[in-house]
Parts: sequence; structure tokens; C-alpha cells
Amino acid sequence: MTVGDIHVLEIFPILVFFISFFGLIISRNIVKAIVLIMLMQTSVILFWLGLGARLGNIPPIFQDATEVYDPNTIADPLPQALMLTAIIIGIAVTAINITLLNALFRKYQTVDWQPMQDLATVDERPES
Amino acid sequence: MAIALTTEILLVFWVVNAIWIVFAKKTYRVMIFFGVFSLITSVIYLFLGAPDVAMAEAGISAFATIFFIVCIEKYYSRGSGLKAEMASAAKPRNYFKLVAAFAFVAMLCGLFIFFVPTTTEYAYTELRDLYLFQFMRDVGGRNAVTAIYLGYRVYDTLFEALLLVTAVVAVIHLSWFDRTIVADGRHSEVERSRMTKFAMRIVCPIILLFGMYLVMNGHISAGGGFLGGLAFALFLVCRFMVLGVYDLPIEKAMKLEELVFINIIILPIFAIFTGFIYFYGYATEMFQNIYLIAMNFLVGLKVAFGFFVLFYRYIAIERLPDKEEVVEAFDDGED
Amino acid sequence: MPPQMLTFFVIVPVLIAVFLYVFFTLKIARVIAIAVQAAFMVPAAWLLFATQESEIAVTVGDYEGFLGIILRADLLAAVFVCLTVFIFLVVGIYTVQTPYDRTKRLYLFLIFLLEGALIGLFLTRDFFNIFVLVEVSTVVVTILLMYDRERRNLFAGMTFLMVNIIVMQLYLFGLGYIYMLTGVMDMEAASAVLYTMDDRSLALPYALIMTSIASKCSLLPMLTWLPKVNSLTGSRFTIAAIMSGLHIKAGVYLFIRFQDVFGGMGTDFFLVIGIITAVAGVIMALSQTDVRLLLAYSTIAQVGLIITGLSLGDGYSRVGSLFHIVNHSLFKVALFLCASQITYLYHTKDIRKIRGALRQTPLIAAANIMAILGIIGAPLFNGSISKYFLMSGATGATEWIIILINLGTILAFVKYAAIFFGKPLGKVRTEGGDEPDFNRRAVVLGLGIICLALGIGGAQAMDFLFDAPVSLSFWSYLEKVGIFAASVAIGILIYRYAISKREFLPKLNGLSLSFQQICVSIGAFFAVLVIYIGVF
Repeated sequence: MTVGDIHVLEIFPILVFFISFFGLIISRNIVKAIVLIMLMQTSVILFWLGLGARLGNIPPIFQDATEVYDPNTIADPLPQALMLTAIIIGIAVTAINITLLNALFRKYQTVDWQPMQDLATVDERPES
Repeated sequence: MAIALTTEILLVFWVVNAIWIVFAKKTYRVMIFFGVFSLITSVIYLFLGAPDVAMAEAGISAFATIFFIVCIEKYYSRGSGLKAEMASAAKPRNYFKLVAAFAFVAMLCGLFIFFVPTTTEYAYTELRDLYLFQFMRDVGGRNAVTAIYLGYRVYDTLFEALLLVTAVVAVIHLSWFDRTIVADGRHSEVERSRMTKFAMRIVCPIILLFGMYLVMNGHISAGGGFLGGLAFALFLVCRFMVLGVYDLPIEKAMKLEELVFINIIILPIFAIFTGFIYFYGYATEMFQNIYLIAMNFLVGLKVAFGFFVLFYRYIAIERLPDKEEVVEAFDDGED
Repeated sequence: MPPQMLTFFVIVPVLIAVFLYVFFTLKIARVIAIAVQAAFMVPAAWLLFATQESEIAVTVGDYEGFLGIILRADLLAAVFVCLTVFIFLVVGIYTVQTPYDRTKRLYLFLIFLLEGALIGLFLTRDFFNIFVLVEVSTVVVTILLMYDRERRNLFAGMTFLMVNIIVMQLYLFGLGYIYMLTGVMDMEAASAVLYTMDDRSLALPYALIMTSIASKCSLLPMLTWLPKVNSLTGSRFTIAAIMSGLHIKAGVYLFIRFQDVFGGMGTDFFLVIGIITAVAGVIMALSQTDVRLLLAYSTIAQVGLIITGLSLGDGYSRVGSLFHIVNHSLFKVALFLCASQITYLYHTKDIRKIRGALRQTPLIAAANIMAILGIIGAPLFNGSISKYFLMSGATGATEWIIILINLGTILAFVKYAAIFFGKPLGKVRTEGGDEPDFNRRAVVLGLGIICLALGIGGAQAMDFLFDAPVSLSFWSYLEKVGIFAASVAIGILIYRYAISKREFLPKLNGLSLSFQQICVSIGAFFAVLVIYIGVF
């Protein structure tokens, strides 16, 4: 199915990408910002998987090696392999982010951007 | 048709979920919506014919949710966090800013959609067809995704594994907690309910078995090293947190992870980078299968140790009450 | 050596990093680290000589066609690899006698990882591999920036990491469109298909990818460089040197590659952006009082200059810009290392409080002055040669703007050079008292002499490094020398009568903007770029 000229699997990831971008601009909470970055990653990954695959495609796994398949009914394996990598990268970076946030929370007792920045700029000012 | 309709309904719900996350005022609601969001995503992946990615997303989102909950739990248990959040939520939103931000992002989104290239959509499929027709000959196995992940693009996989190692190092080094106090078992026994312990004693071997199944069958069906590794990690975590068996100190787990990582580099060097085994004509199916299973196993072990360390840090260390940080006095020099 | 060795340029540093971290004690690890870094110069030099004749290409795993990941080393990549190996060797020698602590092995681990990731970035020509390597280098740099527990800048570091992740999501999105349009992940194969397409359908992928690359180069209307610079105030000088000398150059390298892939779209846009970056970087540098921040903002200005030169569309300018990348790495590392020594002796990082360094520590001050002469483009030094060629493609207003930017750089370094004269204001450590620092002085002096040597043999070096037989016209060079002398005179006068008396734009000192504003700036940059490409 398409909306205008654009496939439905393309338009929804774009929407979620920009919804999370909007959330990043308006949100005051850092926990939420980290979640929204994960949302962003997820939307990009869905976009990639939607590139070649169309709904109802069979997975690129062949139990019977001798049978001949029509490649147009099989999901593209390359985006899947790449996105597996991207997912793991995403969780690794998220873990670091959460650790940093926890350390900052211990230090400043807040998880809001603005108060934390006010406290941090006093703390981390260049030497003068 | 039924799949298409289901997916479209799911996609709409997916977007609604994202909007809920953006406008949720309480952090724990964000967490719940995030869980639902990930679940829907992985179902859509499944409909797109990507079972590997779907399983990875499901596993990852479970772990990520736990990390977040640990983070928030601290924030709520102090009370100050809760009060601050309520005060923050009670503060009137600046509607002018909100509308301006919305207009800005809507403009970006409109530009994006306006410039989406539609003319030659998915015109070049030679590479996909080559992958599908050749992977059994070149890399072996029955799963094209695993063939690309561990064969054609194993070079990427190395760096991804490296990033996980680095992330573990980063979590320990950048944490508020000094790493020297870590290595003992006194935070191990979190769960004291006998019921849970009894249940876990039964479930643990099954988890391990499931992980082994995923790893051993990674090259012929969906699953593979990463998913198997998550199951292994779950096994270790259950043993450690619920049963209270503390026989894998965290330092040792980290060291094991790095040793496994060295093997993850060395195995492809001999198998793939030198082009030694995989010249067409040389490779026998047995060789290929041994390589794929070994690689899956190594990736699984590495992921298991990595996630075990992360989990341990988040459950046992990051939740500890504040106390004076132990900062050893040493002069680093000014370089 | 067989072309398969190309893979090992990346794998070996990573392996050594893990080996050092797991197996060796501190004492042995330090020795091995230096030995390996020195030994690595040999294959790097081999690469430089081997690529003089032809490009070396190798598919990891010998898969046919574009199935595997293809590494390509041409002369440009070889120069960058050599530069990386050299800078890491210099920094390694410099830090070899640092009083080490229990996390020193971690430090070595991260340094080697960064080396491997950067070399990988220079050699790979695969879109997705670039994404993975950029993420690895970002994470490693984040840890290195916050390495010391006592003075780490957690907030700036976290903002840096989060902004970089968001930017890389844009890159990944753009990559999806590239894959959709071309069906391959290899740059050369993709560019062959992309050449046949019209600007409008390429506008979106180009804008998405170039937004993230521009953020990696710290180009200015985007504010992504702010958290990076702010987190420098908590990091070591050697890390700051690597950030300014190499990490930002990786962004410039990617900029060059992606401009080639897209066939030079949007050069006019990046010409303007480069000029804006250079001007704003100079103004920011002038307003700083912290040594590290002054040098870091001067890096941003120089990168703006390099982007301007690359976007002029002139062969000589391009080669000049490439040479300026190499030169800038050398003298900026020298500047940071000298500043490290001087601030250690003076117990402060505020340039207003450091005076009389020339008498206190003559050797290091001499090296420092050589590096400054390099960066401001004094005759006989390397900066003058590269700036001469960089400017040769500029005409009319652009030429005058570049001269003005150079005037600004001179002004900033006149301000900086005040630390050499006068009398010390506070307590000063005696040189060589606490620790033997022969190697440190040797390193910075060596770097200073290399700056001079590359200036004297500039044309030959450019011919060797970039395969560009350039000729230096004596009379036009003399003209540039005249302009330089006039600029220095004006710079000293302006400093004397306008800047030394009061603080210059004190509000810009320690500037810090919120995460939300940085996000908005990313979106705005993307919007302007996509409109520029798609509509005009």
C-alpha cells in the first residue's frame, strides 16, 4: 500500500523519526531523551528493513537447498544483516548513556536538562 | 492481505505509541510505552520476513527496559526525583515554544517527504540476487543473514563486537562507582523468595538449553550467536541474582569477554581474511559449518559475558545507596 | 607485501589493544605499546610508497564483485594512515613517562582502539563500515575525553555522545536511500550509479549524509561542536591533541570522499559554510582564556579554511587544502603538547596568568614558537606553503576573506604568544625537577623542526604526498610574504591597542547551549541543505 507515491513502510518510519526529533526538542527529561533516541534508531531500522522486503515475504532461510525460489518473494538479506549490527550498536551506546545519566544524577540530583545544565556549567567552567 | 492489513493497523498503533512517549508526563509511563513500542516493532519485523532482527529487537528491548527501570527506580526511591518530576509536570508548558517546535519539525518532515526519491525505487537488485544464489556456496549454512553477518561482512561484525566490549569498559569506567570495590559477592542475592528460587531452578537449565539450540542452529535457521548469547546471559543472571550462586566474579567475566573477543578476531583471520578456506573449490560443507557454528558460539559467549557484566552493574552497583566516593589520590601528570 | 595486508592495518592495532589490556603488566605494556607504534611506521611507509604507482584494493575475504567489504588504499588514504600512525607514535612517546595509575592499561587499550578505528576509516570504502567505525571511534573518544575521574566533564561528555548518535541516525537514514537507489554498499560502485541521477532525487540522501559529515567536521551553523569543545576542559592535553589533530581530520576525510561520491554537489554551499566556520572559529578563539579552548577553536577555524579550499573547485586549492590538513595536524599537536608542558610548569591553564615562558623553558618555548609560525603561515614554514596554494584558487572577495581569516588567526596567536614574554606572575615549577622529561622536549622540538622542514621542502613534499607537481612562483610568493608581514603588523597593533586592555567578547568564553538548541541547529542545517540542493 502506498500513501501518494511513497510506500507505507517508508512513510511511517519517517513520521516516527520526526516525532522523536520533536520529542527531543521539547522534552525536559533526559531519561526520555535517551528513550527517544532509541525510538529514532528503531524507526531507521524499520525503514531499512522495509527497503527490499514487502509484506509477507519469506525470510531468507532455505530449509531445502535444492528447491528454486523466486528472489522477488524473499526478503533482502543484506539490510537484515546490517540492521542486526545497528541494533547491537544502539544498545551498546544506550548502556553508556544510561551510566552517564546515573552518574550525573548522583552528582546533581536531577534528571532534567535545564537545571542539570545550570549546575554543570558552574561546575565544569573553563579555568579562569 | 490479512498480513498487510494487520501490519497497517500495527503501524498506526506504533506511531500513536511514539506520540504517547513524547507527551507522557511520568517517566515510568514512558517505560511502559517503550516496551509496547518495541513489541510492535518486532512483530512488524517478523511480517517483513526478518525473524533474526525481530528476535534481536525483542531481546534487546527487554534488556534496555531493565536498564531504564534501574535508572528510574533510583530516581523515584529518593523521593526528591518524584517531587521534582511532579513540579516539572505541574509547570505550565510554554505553548508558544511548543507550537514553534511543532511547526519547525513539521516543516522538516514536509521537506523530507517532498524530496523522497520515488523515481527509481529499488531498481537494482543484482546484489540481493547474488547473495541469495551464492551464499550457500561461498559461506555455507542455510540462513542468508547469518552468511552475510559472519561471512561476507564479518569485518563489520568484528567492530560491532568491539563496540560491545568498549561499552562494557565504558560502563565500568564512567560509572559513579569506583571499580575497586566491585569484586565481591555481597550484592548477589537479590531475590529471597523461595518460590521464585524453586521456579528458577527448573527454568535455568531450560534457558541454557534454549541458548544452546539457538547457537547451534544459527546457521540453518533464525537465531544465531547474538540471540543465543542473550539467552546465556539470562542464564547467568538468573543463577547469580536469583539462586545466589556467585562463582563468576565480574572481573573474571570481563576478562573472559575480552579473551573471547580475541578469538572472534583470530578465527576469521584464518578462515576468511586470508581467503584461505573460502576459495571456491576448497571449501567443503563441513568446514563451513564448523566455522559458522564456532563463530556463532564465540559471539554468543561474548554477548553473554558482556550483558552479564552490564546487568550486574545495573542491578547490583548502580542501585547502591550513595556514599562517599573512594577517590584514590594519585597524580596523573598534566598531559 | 601482498594486498591482503590492508586488512591487518586495522586488525593489528585492535588485537594489540586487547592483548595489552588482558595479558601484560603495566611496565611491559608500556614498552610494547611504544615498540609497536614505532614498528607500525614501517608498513605505513610501505603503503605510502606502494600507492605512489597505483591504488591497492582488496575485498575482505576475496569474495567476488561487491559482495564483501572492499578496502581501498589510494595515495590520499595512505597519507592519512601515515599521519595517524605518526601522531599516535608522537603522543605515545610523549606520554611514556607519565606517572601511570591502575587504569593506564585501559588508556593504552583505548588509544590503540582509536588508532585502529581511524586507520579503518581511512582505508574502508564501504558505506556501512564507515558507520560502524565512526560509532566505535565516537564511543572511544567519549571515554577518553572523560578519562580522569577527578575532573571529568560528565554533562558535556553525555551531550557529546547523544548528539553524535542522533547525527549518525541521519547518516544511516541517508544510507538507506543510497542502498535503495543503487543497491550496493561500495562507494565506487554507488557513485557510478549516482552520477546518472538528477539532483532532485539525490537531494535527500545527500542532505542527510552531509549533515552528519558536516557535524563530524564541526562546521559551524550546526552547534554540535559545542559539547565536544566543552568536554575538552576536563580532558588531558594529549587527548585534546588527538581530537584536534586527527579525529576532526577523519571528518574532513569523509567530507572529501562523500563529495567525490556525489560528484561535487553543493560545493558553493560548503564554500559559504567553510567561510562562516572559519570566521566564527577565529572570533571564538579570540574570546577564550583557557589554553585548550583557544587552540580548539583555532582548530575549528582552520577546518573551516580547509573546507573552503576544498570547495573552491580549483586543483591547486584542493592540493593546498590537503597539504594544510597534514600541516595543521602536525603543528596543532605540537601546540597542544607544548601547552601541556607550559601549563604544568605554571600550575594554571589561563593564558592571562602565564608570562615569561621563553625564559623559564627555552627549548619548549622555541618549539612552541615554531608551531605558531607554522599555523599563522610565516614564510619558510609549512603553513605558508599550504596556505599559498589554498588561496591560489580564490579570487576577488573570497581571497580577501581568507586574508582576513588569516589576520584573525594571527591575532589569536599574538594573544597566545604573550605567554612567552614578561615576568612570571605566580609560582613556577622548575623544569626537569619532578620528572625526567627529555622525551617530551625531544618530541615537541622534533615536531617544530618538521614544520620548518616541510616549509622549506614544501613543493617537493606536496609532489610526493599528493602526486601533484606544483610550482611555486617566486614573485607571487613574495607578494604573500608582504601580505603576511602587513597582517602581523596589523595584528600586533590591534592586540596592543584593542584586545590586551580588556576582555574580547567575554560572553563567548565558556559558551554552553542546551541540547535542544543543538538539535534545532542540526534540523535547520539539514533543511537549508536539502532546499539548496533540491530547489536550486
